[in-house]
Amino acid sequence: MANSTFKGLNAVQRQSLVISLTAFFTSLLLIALVSVLVLIGYRGVAYFWPEPIYLITSKHESGEFPVLANIYRDLSEQEVTLKYSNAKHPYGSQIRIEQGGLDSVELALDSAEIKLKDGRRILALPEYIITPTHAQKSLTEFSAVASEAALITAQIESINSTHLAPVHEALSQFDKRDVVKDAPAREKLVNTFNIYQKRIFALEKQRAEYQLRIVFPNGEGMLVPVASIQDIDFVSRLTVYEKWKVLLSEVAIFLTESPKQANTSGGVFPALFGTVLMVFLMTIIVTPFGVLAAIYLNEYAPHTSLTTVIRVCVSNMAGVPSIVYGVFGLGFFVYTLGGSIDELFFSDTLPAPTMGSPGVFWASLTMAILTLPVVIVATEEGLRRVPEGLKAGSYALGATKFETIVRTILPIASPGIMTGVILAIARAAGEVAPLMLVGAVKFAPTLPIDSEFPFLHLDRQFMHLGVLIYDGAFHSQTDGKSASMMFAACLLLLVVVFVLNILAVILRARLRRRYHKG
Amino acid sequence: MLKLFEHNTLSVKDISQEQTAIEVKNLNLWFGNKQVLDDICMRIPKKKITALIGQSGCGKSTLINCFNRLNDLYDGCRYDGEIIIDDRDINSRKVNVSRLRTKVGMVFQRPNPFPMSIYENVCYGLKLQGVKIRRHLDDAVESALKQAALWNEVKDRLFESAHVLSGGQQQRLVIARALALKPDILLLDEPTSALDPLTTLFIEELMDELKKHCTIIIVTHNMQQAARVSDYTAFFHQGRLIEYADSDTLFTMPDKKQTEDYITGRYG
Repeated sequence: MANSTFKGLNAVQRQSLVISLTAFFTSLLLIALVSVLVLIGYRGVAYFWPEPIYLITSKHESGEFPVLANIYRDLSEQEVTLKYSNAKHPYGSQIRIEQGGLDSVELALDSAEIKLKDGRRILALPEYIITPTHAQKSLTEFSAVASEAALITAQIESINSTHLAPVHEALSQFDKRDVVKDAPAREKLVNTFNIYQKRIFALEKQRAEYQLRIVFPNGEGMLVPVASIQDIDFVSRLTVYEKWKVLLSEVAIFLTESPKQANTSGGVFPALFGTVLMVFLMTIIVTPFGVLAAIYLNEYAPHTSLTTVIRVCVSNMAGVPSIVYGVFGLGFFVYTLGGSIDELFFSDTLPAPTMGSPGVFWASLTMAILTLPVVIVATEEGLRRVPEGLKAGSYALGATKFETIVRTILPIASPGIMTGVILAIARAAGEVAPLMLVGAVKFAPTLPIDSEFPFLHLDRQFMHLGVLIYDGAFHSQTDGKSASMMFAACLLLLVVVFVLNILAVILRARLRRRYHKG
Repeated sequence: MLKLFEHNTLSVKDISQEQTAIEVKNLNLWFGNKQVLDDICMRIPKKKITALIGQSGCGKSTLINCFNRLNDLYDGCRYDGEIIIDDRDINSRKVNVSRLRTKVGMVFQRPNPFPMSIYENVCYGLKLQGVKIRRHLDDAVESALKQAALWNEVKDRLFESAHVLSGGQQQRLVIARALALKPDILLLDEPTSALDPLTTLFIEELMDELKKHCTIIIVTHNMQQAARVSDYTAFFHQGRLIEYADSDTLFTMPDKKQTEDYITGRYG
């Protein structure tokens, strides 16, 4: 059939048909690539962009109106999504409503988006501030009042760390030594504890008296403790320049803070840190393993059918579904290896596992196994490209095989090795499924690194951007804002992979310049 | 030609034990089942230039690879017979091959400088020997580069990549790299076949200078070159040593018909 349709065309037409077809598929590829980047980029940045607040009235049967809301318009639909606050739902709720159902929509210039420190947001009209002296202060003095409240917070924290912490420490020592409940020393400690506790309660009470009064559109008011407020933005009043400033501060919060409200707001720092740490550890583990294996296969192993079989197996390992590696990591590393380590070295804490539970080290090790074939194949490719003449030149100067490998072959093959490492990094940074089995969690209370010995806690579970995105995807139906947090995390993951790759590519280019002609 | 006749060259049969750098006794070599060298016997004189000529695949390169055991690198290579250098059979298992290769330097057909600086290239062998003192390395690099007549061209850019040098300079760098180890014997495997005529001439002059210090064995396809530079010439054909004589004799009054055909260009 193809032949008969082709017969009507002359040679030039046939050729141009082939060119058009191939060009068409190339352009499809480009379109797919660009749309991924544009979508992720647009939705990701939209998460940080301050949306203006509208005062909206409607006779909708839900009885929620009037509300203050951000309006999210879908591209083609008649419906809009409103993310609103009112007296019933001060911390925000969401509704989809037909455009025609809205009675009036006006920009609420005096209303503000009040960001709380716990990650929640309130859209309301701030009225005035109440201080402990019961004086009403105007909003312009907010920052002064906020710093007064912050001063009290600092006092509370200093009491906590300088006085209460040692008491806790001493009490836990007593518990360890089984000191009786009514021992005088213990009672003395409890007394001091109570004294400081009282001081803290007093301070907290004082702090709670700094309040911000806000009013919702239906006239109901509410008091918000000043100490819990992070920021007040009169979004509708902002100029574009000011909006960018807000956006940048939001990005800074996103990058440096922990997630709040079950990963729907706040920042992603632990996930970012966890991702980079895991990739870093994975690289440290996989590079020597892969390079040594490739050296053996390429330089030392005899050329028999067995080595051919091994090569085929290595290449096929790259195609094994990643979840299989996750199950292997859980079954072998975590349960078997980790369990044995616990029995041997941490038997006093059993049955609570130390290494026998998923953690960042096992995750890195699993990812190292997963990316090993990539590194081996790329390294072998690099080793094979070392000119025979250079090897012979090295041997002719009295170098042994090992010296030749270390001094000549490896440096020349290093760009090839770096290619393998780049591919491994790209793969490892993007994997989610196996990580969820061997150590990545939705929320980890602590970072795998801290100031306590041994500083790097490889047994701890960690957060990962991919897992955060996966988690975020389940919020998307109910909450537009947290869905866009997923997009923001996605954008960040892209940036992380991109930056890691760029670093490796720069390193590879430097190695190439150094060891290759031109 | 007159100058050539004034050379005070002994006939190959008169080379005494003391004057011999390499003595090859009944050397046979196989790659797999293919016999590449067939019962080679020859004495290569000290501090002379010996040229090995013959068609491609006649085994001359394989022979010089025997002198530093470079054939060991190839799978399926077997050999028997003796090669005696400094009263020791280097084909014996007990020989320290690394040590042997520092005493028997080699230069290949294509310049193969390592992708390092010029300085690092020349020190490569010395550093393998464990020489670490900077001053010793500096001195060795300077004298090796001077010997290879490269010093004046590179002394200001010793730490630049060796790849910036021209082909002829690279080949001299590779010679300097071998000379830095102060070898007794220098094997040159078609050292000028990748170079232009002027550079070739330069390298030939260099060889003439170098033979004061070491024995040189050169494999070449260029008959004029063999006649110009060598004191002795051996002609190989299909793995056999057909004729071996001082160059003057071999190129003017060859004994064998095969040799005459080859040097007059009737085949090969």
